[in-house]
Amino acid sequence: MKYGVLKNIYQENRTLIFLLTTVFVLLSIFLPSRFLSLLNFQSMATQIPEFGLLATGVMLAMLMGGIDLSVVSIANLSGIIAALIMTRLIPENALGGQIGFFVFTAIIAALGAAILCGLINGVIVGYLRVNPIITTIGTMSLFMGVGIIITSSRGIIGFPDAFLFIGNGYVLIFPFPLIIFVAMMFFVTIILNRTKFGMHARMIGTNQRAAYFANINVRLSFVKVYLLSGFLSGISSLIMISRVNSAKSGYGESYLLETILVVILGGIDPRGGYGKISGLIIALITLQFLKSGSNILNFTPFIKNIISGSLLVIVMIINSISANRISKSEMKKRQQKAAGIIR
Amino acid sequence: MDNKLTQYFKRISKKTESYLILFLIFYILLMSFVSDSFLTLINFFDLGKNASGMAILALGAFVVLLSGGIDLSFTAIAVSGQYISAKILLSVGVDNLLFAFALSCSIGIFLGFINGYLISRFKLQTLITTLGTLSVFHGALLTIFGTAPINASQLPQCIIEFGKATIFRIVREDGSSYGLSVFVLFVIGVVILTWFILRFTMLGRGIYVIGGNEEAARRTGFNVDSIKLFIYSYVGFLAGIMGVINGALIRFIDPTEIVGREINVIAAVVLGGASITGGKGSILGTLLGVFIISILNDNLVLIGLSSFWQRFFVGVIILAGAILTAVQSEEKKLIR
Repeated sequence: MKYGVLKNIYQENRTLIFLLTTVFVLLSIFLPSRFLSLLNFQSMATQIPEFGLLATGVMLAMLMGGIDLSVVSIANLSGIIAALIMTRLIPENALGGQIGFFVFTAIIAALGAAILCGLINGVIVGYLRVNPIITTIGTMSLFMGVGIIITSSRGIIGFPDAFLFIGNGYVLIFPFPLIIFVAMMFFVTIILNRTKFGMHARMIGTNQRAAYFANINVRLSFVKVYLLSGFLSGISSLIMISRVNSAKSGYGESYLLETILVVILGGIDPRGGYGKISGLIIALITLQFLKSGSNILNFTPFIKNIISGSLLVIVMIINSISANRISKSEMKKRQQKAAGIIR
Repeated sequence: MDNKLTQYFKRISKKTESYLILFLIFYILLMSFVSDSFLTLINFFDLGKNASGMAILALGAFVVLLSGGIDLSFTAIAVSGQYISAKILLSVGVDNLLFAFALSCSIGIFLGFINGYLISRFKLQTLITTLGTLSVFHGALLTIFGTAPINASQLPQCIIEFGKATIFRIVREDGSSYGLSVFVLFVIGVVILTWFILRFTMLGRGIYVIGGNEEAARRTGFNVDSIKLFIYSYVGFLAGIMGVINGALIRFIDPTEIVGREINVIAAVVLGGASITGGKGSILGTLLGVFIISILNDNLVLIGLSSFWQRFFVGVIILAGAILTAVQSEEKKLIR
């Protein structure tokens, strides 16, 4: 039974798995001592969850035929809110229990803010029928702007130790962020594969109008998907600020390109309707290997930009060519079939 | 008579431009109460000079939106054109403005052509493609040509002169004078060119049709691929012009500048009533959008807000513009 699931995952992502193994083998051969160490793998495992959760948000929106460009800004704003609560509200000589209460409040407030941001996106896209690209470009600026205003563009540093565990703690040899990430991936997989909403999302992504006529509440579904994407960004923000022990407006802006790259690399169709969590996770690991390799090789951020940008375009081209080929061969089959019937 | 008048108002109330003009009048009145220096000729001349680069980029972004796409890479193209042409001018030792424009524009057209080729040949999503090429172009520029800025003392003389040149000057009583920058002529030129292409050529009609329905455009015999090639090359061309103008404006060429401002430009275009679903919007609306955004950004401090509010307002403007346009379009209500 379990074997069947693995086989399915393999068959759905054959090219990606091939790419992942190639990258892994190449890095292991050329940088064996620095790449193949427990420390490097642990550091990669702490980095994946941050932008992995953001990418999952983008993926969910894309599955429905939309896109969410505001994930980084949402994470930024909710991180700032949590940071403000933890640095401004906790009294000087607070007891352990009091600190715990404020940390808990900060977490709830951050997630609440993230969900509220998602709600704004969802209402504008779903009920006011504004295009998702324009909406989330707008809210991207808006949320970032709120963060800049409430912090006056200054960084906030120094959180209680209890909170730092979220981004830096270990359970056995596993970093705590990785555990959160795995839990979230299970959560999202269940939503996508086992609930009515998951099916509706794919149907809306394939054909919005048909979904509407099939009596699916398209508007509400958009609200739900952006709520979910906001929630994931909120979780990501907690890991992010806890890992670097600070929050600053504008932090993580380079993640936008990376999240979209990962989603496209993971085989999610930007036109909507098709995409698998397994593909996304394999793409995340592949990209993290590449990032780790380019960090070891000391590439400048500009070269990294060239690499991710061109990778994005190349993957899109390959997807487009293969999709074209499939539809052509499909067409041939259909024509032959039709010819057979006529005869 | 009365009926005609109400009909006229009904028609006008459906246009985004009339709301923009109302807003502008209201804002200008408000500002002239707040500050004495606001409603002066010199302030508006300055405004025109500062906004001209953005206006040129916005017209390019407008044409892309009209065709149902979106371009994020034009800022990287502008900065490439600006920096590479200035470097070549300095290393060759030629001090000629025309040469600078020719270089910058051809670099722009080349990079824009790459965008257009990728998008039309492989039918890629415009947003994701140009997000990718944005970082490729900018990363390549900074890797190949370095990150050292060129300051006013090193800059070719022709670019400095160009920044100071005016169409006409007004002499004050105390002998000092001020004038309207020649940059405005470039904006007018680009406006006329874009208007002519959109209004009177088959190409322009094609851009509208692609924006409305790409498949329909293909079946009616428009060469969709070459129209797209043209659109993105045209954006590159305009970005090349903007690059030189921006260098002359601030008398400082920094290869890390300009990139990041694409959101402001898109905000202006969206506020002007253009919709990414294509086929909608006007040049007048775009120019009004640019004007409003520059006036707002320039005068934030005057109405008592710090510059930290800038990003926030850009977001508000995009959403307000997009929601206004979406609510106005009635046909879309049928879909869901």
